[in-house]
Amino acid sequence: MTQNFKTRSASNLTRRTILKGAAGTAALAASGSMLAMPAIAQARSIKIGSYGGYFEDSFKKYVYPAFTEATGITVESVTQPNSSDWLVTMQQAAASGTVPADVSLYGKDTMIKATRIGDMLKPLDASKIPGVTNLDAEFLYEGPDGLVGVGSMAWFNAMVINPNEVTPAPTSWKEFWENPAFEGSLGISKKIDGRLLDITAKTFFDGAETLMSEDGIVAVLDKVAELKPHVALWWSAESQMEQAMKNEDVIAGSYYLDVANIMASDGFPIKPLFPAEGNPIGYGSWCLSPLSEKTGEAYEFMAFSSDPATQALMSRNIGTAPLVNRELTDLTDEEFAFVSGSPIITPAYESYLDNETFIKERWDAMLAGA
Amino acid sequence: MSDLAAASSLVHARDGTRLKGQEGPRADAVQSIGARPIIMTVIAAFLVFVFLAPILLVIAVSFGEKIEGASWVWAFDPSNYARVFVGIGWPDQITLLYAYKLGYTLAYAVLGSLIAIAFAFPFTYFLSQCSRPAQAAWLVFILASLSMSEVFIVMGWDIMLSNRSGLPALFKATGVTAWLKDTGWLAVLKDWGLANPRNVKFKTSQLATVLTMAYLVWPYAVILLYAPLSRIDRSMIEAARTMGAGSFTVMRTVVVPVVRIPVMGTLLLLFVYLLGAYVTVTYFAEPAHQTLPVSIYEAIRGATLNAPFGAAQAVVLLSTAGVFILASLWLGRLAENRGR
Repeated sequence: MTQNFKTRSASNLTRRTILKGAAGTAALAASGSMLAMPAIAQARSIKIGSYGGYFEDSFKKYVYPAFTEATGITVESVTQPNSSDWLVTMQQAAASGTVPADVSLYGKDTMIKATRIGDMLKPLDASKIPGVTNLDAEFLYEGPDGLVGVGSMAWFNAMVINPNEVTPAPTSWKEFWENPAFEGSLGISKKIDGRLLDITAKTFFDGAETLMSEDGIVAVLDKVAELKPHVALWWSAESQMEQAMKNEDVIAGSYYLDVANIMASDGFPIKPLFPAEGNPIGYGSWCLSPLSEKTGEAYEFMAFSSDPATQALMSRNIGTAPLVNRELTDLTDEEFAFVSGSPIITPAYESYLDNETFIKERWDAMLAGA
Repeated sequence: MSDLAAASSLVHARDGTRLKGQEGPRADAVQSIGARPIIMTVIAAFLVFVFLAPILLVIAVSFGEKIEGASWVWAFDPSNYARVFVGIGWPDQITLLYAYKLGYTLAYAVLGSLIAIAFAFPFTYFLSQCSRPAQAAWLVFILASLSMSEVFIVMGWDIMLSNRSGLPALFKATGVTAWLKDTGWLAVLKDWGLANPRNVKFKTSQLATVLTMAYLVWPYAVILLYAPLSRIDRSMIEAARTMGAGSFTVMRTVVVPVVRIPVMGTLLLLFVYLLGAYVTVTYFAEPAHQTLPVSIYEAIRGATLNAPFGAAQAVVLLSTAGVFILASLWLGRLAENRGR
């Protein structure tokens, strides 16, 4: 069913894989050739977690084989249901001394959460991961003990419209509040980390700064409440929004950029936009378990993942945005527009954690009108 | 399903006396070889482990303490229960958010099971008068339909109510939508939350939620009512007819009194089953009208990782359901005694 935390489910991400079958053929051939070299592979291996479904499949098909080819290290893929659930699994595993995955994929809030729980992430030595200098500094997460997370890929929650029904296209998120044509017509994520709070804070207030205090949160929630009459669907599973756009039960809303692009190229009436205020970004990070004995292999994998060529490989085959400067990659304008855009709204991650019970209850109360 | 089994035995509990009489000699034989205490101990241990332990664990977790921004730890913190009733802001601020959710949970379950029985009772009554092969065919069909998961049923209803493939499309194609727009009824429907500026809309609505729930349990209602309804002594009905009673009078004075206890049991069973409905509610009820199970799921599996609060809500839901069932059993007994 649905993913709760930061986690994009991959199922939608990856229909891109099918779409881009042609591009994938080459990589498939590469993965085939990997089967022929198990001797080296047996020597060094590593267990890497990623969100299950097509997302993980794409990693297994395109990313891991390329990594094995480059380093001789084989990858045992581990399925994570999402990031927050997986954190609980890793916590329990640590208590019993096992390591379900050497490297896990965590959303930023989960990663912060893990550092707060303590002893969940192994500090990394950046000097041993040559590639990380390619990443923008904001995608290298430092806990109290130093670097603990190396960014892997990014995704956007974009504004989407049905171009047949909504003309002209909105240029600001404000129109969702102000245009009566949207009455009972929007599809918005019901989840507290569905980023509507960040969008509202950026559009009507001082952005993430406003969400840092309880008063600010209440003010933003009051503004969100004004949007309620325009929302036809508060979706909790990605598939709900997908169906609602296809069926025209909703004609606009917020949805994942990559999935929207895939649906559009499938011929469905959906168009993602970057309005004046921008769209919220989310990103995943590779983190190492403190019990792992594969630190060397993990460094090599993180270096590989930070390589612009790998970032481009992920953009093409998984549909995620690169975390390196675009000029470093060989992505064409068209390919880049498919996975990214600007401006960017950065979520107020710390506030979601510091005030999580407060925000959750007030958000639910706002939705319920209670 | 264990709920089902338990309540199904409740439906037929009246046969208990006969069971007691059967124990006699065979039970003695088993006892004489000393196997009985061992078997009973094994079964008891199994029951404790499989049924009691998880409930005790939920109760223990419900007293855990949430660490803000992290996970939770074992503790003895009754504030989770306080939060269920008055919210996190208490005593400065009180929210009845979770009480509302509990209210919707109970209301949907009661309405859903009542509607299901209202449709299942006449259907089953006439089914029990059909020929044997027809009855068998229907029962096989209904039993088979039980294998459909809630997810599939919700998907079907979702398509039926969708703008381009369901009722709204039909309204548009037949010109009803245009007529509603011209006469101003669309604006009225919009006020009721059953339309947008372009067409009627049935998702999300409480109507869709309750109807889907009723559909979900309707096969159970038929199967549970089939046995008591088919056991009714036809000669009693014929006797009433011969004495001049009409169909309605026969139904009211003969059929309903005979099956009122199984009907009550069925109602309770469907009610308990629907308390836990999740997919239907997440799809067809807007967040303002969602239920406690959705909130429980979000607390435990959602971003906050607040299992203690989820557990506290679960315990409150369980207790409320228990109170409801005991109350209805008590009322049933009261009515029974008064009837004598």
